[in-house]
Amino acid sequence: MSSFSRSAQQWATFARSWFLIDARMQPPGKIATMCAIRLQGKHKPIYHAMSDCGDHIVVMNTKQIAFSGNKWEQKVYSSHSGYPGGFKQLTAAQLHHKDPKAIVKLSVYGMLPRNLHRHTMMQRLHIFPDDELPDDILANLTEELPQPREIPKQLSEFTQEEIDAFPRLWTPPEYYKMK
Amino acid sequence: MAARSMLRSVWTSFAGLKLGATGSNVIFQQGTNVPQLSAITIQSRGLRQVVEKQEGKTTIVEGHILNTPEAPEPPNPAAKCPIYRWNLQHKYNYTDVLLLSQFIRPDGGLLPRRITGLCLEEHRKIAICVQMAHRAGLLPDHKPEPPANQINKKPKQQLNRYLTRWSIDSVKPIYKTGLKWCKRRMAVGSPLLKNNVCYGVKHMNIKH
Repeated sequence: MSSFSRSAQQWATFARSWFLIDARMQPPGKIATMCAIRLQGKHKPIYHAMSDCGDHIVVMNTKQIAFSGNKWEQKVYSSHSGYPGGFKQLTAAQLHHKDPKAIVKLSVYGMLPRNLHRHTMMQRLHIFPDDELPDDILANLTEELPQPREIPKQLSEFTQEEIDAFPRLWTPPEYYKMK
Repeated sequence: MAARSMLRSVWTSFAGLKLGATGSNVIFQQGTNVPQLSAITIQSRGLRQVVEKQEGKTTIVEGHILNTPEAPEPPNPAAKCPIYRWNLQHKYNYTDVLLLSQFIRPDGGLLPRRITGLCLEEHRKIAICVQMAHRAGLLPDHKPEPPANQINKKPKQQLNRYLTRWSIDSVKPIYKTGLKWCKRRMAVGSPLLKNNVCYGVKHMNIKH
């Protein structure tokens, strides 16, 4: 802000902030794009690839991530250990069961630029499967980012007034017996 | 079983349904027009109300035909299908549970088309939206009763999902996705809802 002193303005521009994202019921790809943009520093007008202006991101509740479509069964994560016979293919569901942090980590890793800065940026990404965060990270957080996907309401979460306000579209015929 | 289905039919959301306390019997005067409010209702389809009266040793079970509360006028009353009558043709999705719940049974199944009066394409769209809503977990109270499950298998992994087109057990993993020009895409949503109104700039992507 222009009302700050020069040193305060300098500090505010170049400080490394900590962002929090709640991944509950969110698609991991959308979470990963938000993370990748902020880890590189592309959300800042002072961005330059060599100026190390990326921020820290904390992702929580990755255990409750939601894939669209049938990706839990169809999407396959492959890896090769380098040894003969070391080719492993796991579906997203199997990988998530084995390690709930892996899907988000792999998505962000694939979205970062393929250079030597990638590992430093991954070190600034902190993923937690539940919503329990360690105290030192909690103390550093500055902003929570809004969730990319709107979580739909379950039928049991609607109040009776909202249910009554919705008009009935059709009346059943007199002879019909509801089972 | 019958009692359970009666309780279920009582519980389905029909307007004008009144539930009384079960158990205690109230004695009425014979022959007078008894107000329905103080009566005990055992079974109600919303159109008929069964009232039980106890006079000494005799029990009288009567069915009173209720006046259905006047539904507000639909904007297009001339159309045959209820969705066209309310001008909701291309405007609903799997998230509109209040709309979808009007066409399903208490155990989650869809009502027949000849009863609801839907046209064929809308019936199919509602069917696929209901399927997607079930798989997304938006209709938690409309699950079918498990058939006398003695051996409770280990609980399945509860994974959050949405816009699932195919049933979970029927899908195989895509081990070889192929190159960009011949990629095997993963299906999301349904092509039946392709004509839905889209207020954003990007169109709906069905092949991920």
